[in-house]
Amino acid sequence: MKDKHITEILDNVSIAALSESELNGIRAHALECMPCRDAFEAARLSAVVIKSRVEATIEPSPFFQTRVMAALREQQAVESVPAMLRLWRSAKVLVSTMAVTTAALAVVSFIQPSTTPVAEQTASAYSAYSVIMDQNPDDQMSYEQVLSTIYEDDEDAR
Amino acid sequence: MDLDLARQAQAGDESAFAEIVRRYSPRVFSVASRFFRQRPLVEEAAQEVFLKAYTQLGSFEGRGSLEGWLTRIATNTCLNMVRSSKRRPELTVSDLTEDEQGWLEHQSAGDGGEPASVENSVVATDLADRLLSVLSPEDQQALLMIDGEQASIKEVAEATGWSESKVKVRAFRARRKVREAMEKLLSYKRAGSER
Repeated sequence: MKDKHITEILDNVSIAALSESELNGIRAHALECMPCRDAFEAARLSAVVIKSRVEATIEPSPFFQTRVMAALREQQAVESVPAMLRLWRSAKVLVSTMAVTTAALAVVSFIQPSTTPVAEQTASAYSAYSVIMDQNPDDQMSYEQVLSTIYEDDEDAR
Repeated sequence: MDLDLARQAQAGDESAFAEIVRRYSPRVFSVASRFFRQRPLVEEAAQEVFLKAYTQLGSFEGRGSLEGWLTRIATNTCLNMVRSSKRRPELTVSDLTEDEQGWLEHQSAGDGGEPASVENSVVATDLADRLLSVLSPEDQQALLMIDGEQASIKEVAEATGWSESKVKVRAFRARRKVREAMEKLLSYKRAGSER
């Protein structure tokens, strides 16, 4: 072992599982080989911290059994309720809100417009026309008036 | 005995299931403690294990021990919990605390004795978590069980459901990575003390 690097051995088995003769062989090699000495030191310290980590175990509290039994009863209670009822329980607020909103929209769409007077609608249409065309429809010229105006202009020109 | 208890619990006998919880919660907590260090997380995992065990009681055939069966459920449940949570950041040597540097110095100077005080144990455990963070949750478990709890390859294979060769590969890879990470910490410590 003295001439052979020891990193393979260190990675293959836990240091705690090595026999005393194996450890002596590793130490003898590590004395003369700097990289193996560093590797052995690191493996030794790693083993110490891992042992500490495993020893840091949390014990169950005295109430743990009660807690588990309560969680189990809760789970059984949930499972005993039919699926559709569970779905309704979780979705009833959403469904009710949607129903109220739909009803409100129906009132706004079908009842509100019929209360507006017809005359007002016409007036609005006329006002829109006058705004767009920049004239009152009553002031609009007839076809004959247009023709006579054109011909009058021609005669004046001659 | 285990099988009778399991059958009674499966038949709806609450006191039988309460007895299973009472008898095996130390073992389940021990498994969960390998994965988590905070009590609320360990308790949450242990509760999840027993609720799962209750629904799967029918699959326990009594060929092995109830403790072994629960250990397997606990290991897989905790592995799933760790996988679904965010991975911890990888090891950085620059953020070694003073206590950790002191602990490494003390251990390097001595002959590797056990950490003497509670404070030392906490520092060593913190260091272990720092080193283990370079590993996957599965490799961590293989290393903690074999090198920490002195479990055999066969016992790890039974507890995890992995093949024995897979356990060996995981343990080998984990040991090498942790050793290299520790070498990195030691070289950083040396460089720091030379400055």
